[in-house]
Amino acid sequence: MSNSNTEKAEDTAGSVAVAEVPEQAGADESGLDIEALEREGDIAADYIEGLLDIADFDGDIDMDVEGDRAMVSVVGATLDELIGEKGEVLEALQELTRLAVHRSTGNRSRLMLDVGGYRESRRKTLSRIGAEAAAEAKKSGEVKPLAPMTPFERKVVHDAVAAAGLRSESEGEEPNRYVVVHPMD
Amino acid sequence: MLEEALEHLVRGIVENSDDVHVRARRLRKGKVLEVRVHPDDLGKVIGRNGRTAKALRTVVGSLAGGRYVRVDLLDLHEVR
Repeated sequence: MSNSNTEKAEDTAGSVAVAEVPEQAGADESGLDIEALEREGDIAADYIEGLLDIADFDGDIDMDVEGDRAMVSVVGATLDELIGEKGEVLEALQELTRLAVHRSTGNRSRLMLDVGGYRESRRKTLSRIGAEAAAEAKKSGEVKPLAPMTPFERKVVHDAVAAAGLRSESEGEEPNRYVVVHPMD
Repeated sequence: MLEEALEHLVRGIVENSDDVHVRARRLRKGKVLEVRVHPDDLGKVIGRNGRTAKALRTVVGSLAGGRYVRVDLLDLHEVR
């Protein structure tokens, strides 16, 4: 299947960008190509804007580069249809948007899509969940498994656990993969 | 609106975007959206383990707001 193309792009995406354009203005010392990320954001914004127009949804699009990723946010209006229960529609839309970017650039994208501040508020909740689980594991000395989460959610929890000085791992298979917090040994 | 939205979503991710056609057919309990794509793009719209097909269905299902909508992904030349 055509997935073999995606595989190859995944393997080479980072290194090609760095190796071929080390002295271009867009690539700083860390190998981060801001211009490429902004271009990802532009492609993603066009893709999402087209959908908003067709569905007759209000909403503006903000673009940003956050760390090493392009970030595209749909703001304003009621956008529950684009978020869904537990953010499942948002995840699906992000996946499609990354594919649209990949089609245009040939590189695999790690772009983040947010709608109505969903990820931002979810991030806060999850950080708290991670910190609380870490505190509990520390106190009880026992491993603490959490509820199944999306990759984005697990990442936020792992970060919060690490910030509390503990170790965590993901176990199980998607879509039921979950974080397990380990007490200090 | 659903047909148009689905067509937009698919066109953005395939190589042969001009070959993407969506047709709606009524069912007793809802509707079917038949998406036809270039044979070379069929694997792409289905994705590894059907991931992309699932993502398309999730978004379209949500836009349909609870009404039953089935999404079929077909090769351009497939006759039904």
